[in-house]
Amino acid sequence: MKKIIYAIAALAAIVSCQSLKEEWQPVFTFGDNEPAEMKLWTESDLSKYGFGGTFTSIKDMKDEYEKKTAMEKKMTSGHTITSNTWIKGQVVSDDRSGNLYREIYLQDATGGIDLKLGKSSLYSDYKLGQWVYVNCNGLCIGAYNGMPQLGLEPDNTSTNEYETSYIDNQYIINTHVFRGAYDTPVAPKEVTEAEVKASLSAGFKGDLWGVLVKVKGLKYGNQIFALVYPHGILGHKKDNPYNRLFLSDAGTWGINTWSMSKAKYIEYIQAGNFDAGVIGSGATKYGNILTKPIDYKAQMGNEVITAFGPDAYITYKEMMVKYATANYVSHYFKMGTTDIQVRTSGYAKFADQELDSRIIGGSSLDITGILTIYDGSAQLSLVTAPDDADNPSVKIN
Amino acid sequence: MMKRLLLIVLSLLAVTALGAQPTGGVKGTIVNRNGRQPIEKAHLILMQGAATVAETSSAEDGSFFIPGLADGMYTLVIDAPEFLESQVQVTVNDGYVKNMFNLGLTGIQRVTDVDDDSFAQFDMDDSGYNDNPTILFGSNDVFNNIAGYNFSSVRFRARGYASETQDVYLAGVKMNDAITGYSPFSLWSGLNEAMRTKESTNGLEVSDYGFGGYNGVTNIFGNATNVRKGLRGSVLTNSTLYRLRLMGSYATGLMDNGWAFAANVSARLGGNDWIDGVYYRSFAYYLAADKVLDDAHKLSFVFFATPGQRGAQNASTQEVYDLVGDNMYNSNWGYQNGKVRNARVRKTNEPIAILKYDYTPSDKFNAYVTALYRFGKNGYTALDWYDAQDPRPDYYRNLPSYFYDANPDMNRNNGIKNGWANEVWSHPDSYPTLTHIDWDRFYYVNRIQTDDNGLNRSKYIQEQRHVDQNDLNLAATFKYRPQDNLTVTGGLNARVNRTEYYKVVADLLGGDYYMDIDNFAERDFAATPYKLQNDLDYYMKNGSAQVLHKGDKYGYDYYAQVRNYGGWLNAEYTLGNFSANLGGRVGYESFWREGLMRKGLFPGLDENGKKLVVDGVTVEPTYENDGSVVTSYGKSKVSKFMTFAGKLALNYVIGGSQRVYANLGYFNDAPRFNQAFLSPRTRNSIMDDLKTIKTFSSDINWQYSGNGINVRTTAYFTTIKDQSKIMSAYDDLQNAFSNFAINGIDQQNIGVELGFKVPTYLVPNLSVQGVLAAGRYVYTSNPTMTQTVDNSAEVVMENVPVPYWKSTLLADGTVKQHYVPSTPQIAASLGLAYNYNYWFIDGDVEYFGKSYLDMNPLYRTETAVAGPDNQVTANELAYMTEQEEFAPAVLVNLSVGKSWYIHYKYQLGFSLNVKNLLNNRNVKTGGYEQTRMVDNTVSKSQYYRFDSKYFYMSGTNYMLNVYFRF
Repeated sequence: MKKIIYAIAALAAIVSCQSLKEEWQPVFTFGDNEPAEMKLWTESDLSKYGFGGTFTSIKDMKDEYEKKTAMEKKMTSGHTITSNTWIKGQVVSDDRSGNLYREIYLQDATGGIDLKLGKSSLYSDYKLGQWVYVNCNGLCIGAYNGMPQLGLEPDNTSTNEYETSYIDNQYIINTHVFRGAYDTPVAPKEVTEAEVKASLSAGFKGDLWGVLVKVKGLKYGNQIFALVYPHGILGHKKDNPYNRLFLSDAGTWGINTWSMSKAKYIEYIQAGNFDAGVIGSGATKYGNILTKPIDYKAQMGNEVITAFGPDAYITYKEMMVKYATANYVSHYFKMGTTDIQVRTSGYAKFADQELDSRIIGGSSLDITGILTIYDGSAQLSLVTAPDDADNPSVKIN
Repeated sequence: MMKRLLLIVLSLLAVTALGAQPTGGVKGTIVNRNGRQPIEKAHLILMQGAATVAETSSAEDGSFFIPGLADGMYTLVIDAPEFLESQVQVTVNDGYVKNMFNLGLTGIQRVTDVDDDSFAQFDMDDSGYNDNPTILFGSNDVFNNIAGYNFSSVRFRARGYASETQDVYLAGVKMNDAITGYSPFSLWSGLNEAMRTKESTNGLEVSDYGFGGYNGVTNIFGNATNVRKGLRGSVLTNSTLYRLRLMGSYATGLMDNGWAFAANVSARLGGNDWIDGVYYRSFAYYLAADKVLDDAHKLSFVFFATPGQRGAQNASTQEVYDLVGDNMYNSNWGYQNGKVRNARVRKTNEPIAILKYDYTPSDKFNAYVTALYRFGKNGYTALDWYDAQDPRPDYYRNLPSYFYDANPDMNRNNGIKNGWANEVWSHPDSYPTLTHIDWDRFYYVNRIQTDDNGLNRSKYIQEQRHVDQNDLNLAATFKYRPQDNLTVTGGLNARVNRTEYYKVVADLLGGDYYMDIDNFAERDFAATPYKLQNDLDYYMKNGSAQVLHKGDKYGYDYYAQVRNYGGWLNAEYTLGNFSANLGGRVGYESFWREGLMRKGLFPGLDENGKKLVVDGVTVEPTYENDGSVVTSYGKSKVSKFMTFAGKLALNYVIGGSQRVYANLGYFNDAPRFNQAFLSPRTRNSIMDDLKTIKTFSSDINWQYSGNGINVRTTAYFTTIKDQSKIMSAYDDLQNAFSNFAINGIDQQNIGVELGFKVPTYLVPNLSVQGVLAAGRYVYTSNPTMTQTVDNSAEVVMENVPVPYWKSTLLADGTVKQHYVPSTPQIAASLGLAYNYNYWFIDGDVEYFGKSYLDMNPLYRTETAVAGPDNQVTANELAYMTEQEEFAPAVLVNLSVGKSWYIHYKYQLGFSLNVKNLLNNRNVKTGGYEQTRMVDNTVSKSQYYRFDSKYFYMSGTNYMLNVYFRF
């Protein structure tokens, strides 16, 4: 019997000691155990991922777009880069203000590129001025309404409206995008009207797209453009024109803020600002939200009405409020004779900030932002708030 | 009393007159209450007051004889290995030998006590569900004795009732949580020796310690004289929860001076074989003293706590489990600097102090008064982040299904992203930063968020959510036997509970500070700084949000105030073999919220009832349905309820070994705080039309105990009406916590229980034992639902019917019933038990079936079923309203143990329990539906569910306990 007792005691002791050794240590429960500083990549480190020692310029990488295959054209896809192509650039945008979302812009001496990382709050990981190395092999260079973008092959969604998709997948990001050294943030490039016009003429190949620029001498154009989708769940593309509301061609629609948060959007709707908004798309124009005294939705055909499902019997305005979200607004500015739109997201923290009265009053402005092209027009996206304490994007002269 | 005095006087006179040795004595046989087998070597001490009169041991046939006793009252203390210590009162009269016949001892649960340690800490905070099993006690009940431990692995709930319906008392005070009603076993977890002595009743039975409800009463004595005398130590290891438990206890027993002292300490440490990240670092201590002042008066003092921490397990979707190839995957942990760290750790230190006064003036009357105070800290860590990516590894956007789905309507068609996500999740060990929490990244990110002052503002932190109770209870209970056939028990109780809910910064993860900003509100109200403030008063005073450092309170802070007062009375009348109980209880319960932090989104009015002016702007308040102002600050409306209950029990004993008994009860109970407030973290808003819960319950039972055979069978029927429930779940579409208040839930529980243990007669000491719990627990009403979100006063849905809650009438005419979830509705066990010479070997096969997933009310609304096109199709109806039934499970368990009595003084023993010998790793024990729908479809004709999340039982696991007592 004693043997049994000793055996049991020994077994208990062994199990206990083993647990001390194997399982107490890994469990973080006390003390300092902070990781070391994050490793930043250097060019020499990148060979591990196949870097051949030479970077392609951003301009040359964008030119790869012209190599679209017949299949890619048929699939409405950008061009997937299959060679060992690497670019490097400094980060010139961040999403801290909320105006840019799920993307960063990289810039080298030859131009800039929109890198569609597909993650939120990227400023947490990518600092202004930081060097970033991108292995483009397997990524896709495409155009969105003429604007060059670097992402992945398209998602092949039902609407098929994008030539690239967000990279989105952290593994693909980790194996293609490498954060390098911190450096002084890039100064905005001052551009002239002629340079903007030249870029517009060059279309996709324009040098300025994706570049951090300062545009001087702008004046407010007293006009906005916005396209909102009243029903939050129904489709809103061209085959669903009854779910598209255009706010254009009629001044500012009473919008005196850079954009519209959800709350501001509702406020504008309820104030009647959008009552004359045109529902429709292209040749299909249904009319305005509100043809007093009755709601316009009631005048649509039965087929359209039923498409609104459970919301068929509430007014168009009520439906807009029910599905309200933040919405972007593009304000028009004039650079000489050239229109430049300042497009601001409704999720920007400065969305509901009112335009300074001097701006509306016609003062000359210097505006800093990322210059992009959209359907043949130049657009500026502000990186920081117009009146940011450290780095205002709008200077009123 | 006069009669008794007369007898004593006469006895004394007789003894004096005889002038001879006393001729009285005590004899009897010590037997196992469960099976009536004799117990050899039981240790018997006969006491008169505090003085020991005689000591002896039982013989091989369990018999004993203590001769030479003078007439008088004695206390016989019986102790035997593997049995609970027992005390009986003996009166020796007229010099006769008192024959006690069979004295039954109750066996200790051999393998281990079932307590809070028997269950993994499930992380349900963000899901809105609870998954608390019932813990069955009562080793004098054959059903509970077998089911209590065996069924715990599947989180079995007795009769399908919610665990909070089980009343748990400590020293006569009801300990169920004042806010949630949950049975608070974790408060004394690890103090098994100190809390071992307990008494339990089943179902509707009234206890001597409290009126109870319809799911049994367990009273844990907890005082020093109820801790087994002597020094005891044990070492336990198991493979499912923690590696090592060390426990020691010492009790003096009642000493000659009338004092008794007891102490119990333990440590539970380490990880386990099955769930990574789950660990214990828990300690426990217990000190108690009893002082017998005289025959009538006794004082008891108890103080204990279980300070420590334990890592929690999280639920994931089946997609994740399948990809990683492990149903025990836990998304709560990750590597920090190469070491495992769990984000969700429960940290508690809630001491309890008890002062109890017992008054026993005669053997016909006894009473006690207990004051119990619970205080301390109870925290639960979690990750918090500001304007940063969701850090959860199994966040749905990180999974392959987010990128590709075979259903074209889901519009997910990217094969490349899907392929790489598959690669990552199929090889979790190769990609630990992607398949587990990436702690190192939090540090990297926080360290580069440098402000103008050179300080780093943390984007990710670890918060600690506190639920700190100050719980004062008073209970007075009496038992009076005015005549031999009538016993009256009753009591009064009062509870004052103030629980503070708040959170603090637990770890800045490499940063220097954090800001007290509601980042959910920031998305919608960025241009209105005051609305972003968690603490508007601080903002108004200082002009900016508070800069937070480690330990600072932030986010929310409020009191839940609860007051309960009540009384109960029960009378038991016996007439021959027939007895009847009739009892009733009345009470007054109230609760309210008291906001301590004024939130910017719900600021209410100032102290003078005027509108607030912030940043020069007058803040227009929003209003509740009753016209009162929505506010986060100050005292809410007080909800008051009169409660009452009644019970009737009839009991008939047939021939000494059989008993037939039946119980009836009706209960009108108040809802609890956690079932009433729509969004207590943010405001005082309370559910409209809050009602008391009405329960009717009945059971009929037959019990047989004789010739080594024990059988109990029960049939029960219960209806519960007007239940309410609040579920809070994080909704990243709303970018906020979304709250679903469900009102008017009715259910019906009907079923049978059978427990038996029968000797085989073929092999000596071998018994067949088994239990069957077969029930049908269904919903019988369609409730209404109100949805709110934390970052808006707007009511998303108000009192919307949930027409497919109780059942769905399918297109083909069949009715799909929906069931009360989170417990098997059929549970059975059949096994063999061998006992000889302090060896025991138990083996059993178990079956669990008809277990259902907890339902989400959103999926059972007309809106969800009809989809965006408002057209209900047969497919949508069946798909959206379906309740998942878990696959049945078969388990095999084996237990073996032995104890040795060394020199009649020391006891050494072990028990080894191996569960799930078939290594079945596919047994779902619980889970929940996510409260979200996919609406971004191609057809825009129907919604899709988000994948449900599950908890699984571990595969083969063991528990080995080695103990030494002397």
